[in-house]
Amino acid sequence: MVDIEALKAQFLDLEFDVKAFEIDAQAVAAVGKVSGETRAEFTDVDHPDFQAPPAFIGSLASGRHLPIDFPNLGGIPMDGGKAVECHKPVRPGVPITGRTHLHDIYDKSGRSGRMVFIVTRMEIYDEAGEHLATSDSRMVIRERPDA
Amino acid sequence: MNINTVHDVEFGAELEPFQPDTSIDVTSAFADAVGWGDGGGRFTDHELARQQGLPGALVPGLLTLGFLTAMIHRWAPTGRVACVDTVFRTPLLADSQVEITAVVTDVDEDTGAVELDLSAKNAKDETGVFGTATVMLPLE
Repeated sequence: MVDIEALKAQFLDLEFDVKAFEIDAQAVAAVGKVSGETRAEFTDVDHPDFQAPPAFIGSLASGRHLPIDFPNLGGIPMDGGKAVECHKPVRPGVPITGRTHLHDIYDKSGRSGRMVFIVTRMEIYDEAGEHLATSDSRMVIRERPDA
Repeated sequence: MNINTVHDVEFGAELEPFQPDTSIDVTSAFADAVGWGDGGGRFTDHELARQQGLPGALVPGLLTLGFLTAMIHRWAPTGRVACVDTVFRTPLLADSQVEITAVVTDVDEDTGAVELDLSAKNAKDETGVFGTATVMLPLE
């Protein structure tokens, strides 16, 4: 069994990926429209306050999901959820950078064994270093008994 | 009732339920827009998804997060979703009925912050996605 506390001590809060993004306006508008958005700032590329909705921000993916030396826990990782915190608008056409670290690791045990939850956090900044948004991805791994 | 300021919000109020378009055209367009392509068919083709052991093509969890925030924006046209946190519990299928609901669980009239509990259920009343959101509303 993997020692969760040891994993936390070794990996939490250490940046393991930095990725540059430039968001496409049409893609943002498409996400707004198919989500059922009715507010023009999320669907109309010509709106003066046009910006990415939370679902688009949550889709920004780091180059790696886990640190390169993170142990293999076995099992198939599943997407357990997303969280998006919006501090300032994320706008298309503006270069942004996503800086990623592991924010939390915890486990839950049930009849079918232990599930390990890994929360990967990407903090999104603009070129001036302003923190625009935070996106958390919660990965769930059903631990292999011999892991 | 449209919500314009935090003083319009009642604790315990339920938002107008929302039945989003979950058609495979929509799930495909979402996957394409966020750069996932066809994802091996899991969001774009029921048969290909079944070949992967899934019950059919899925509504991406992130699209459901999009449905939830769209409902909040309809309810509060002047509000800003400061935070939305979702748990993906059970897959929701493309081309199936999904109902999005929310209830107000806290109102802070000093800061304008409103807390919501969110859920997305299928036609069997099973919760596919649930979560919470914090919405900032004007004070006046």
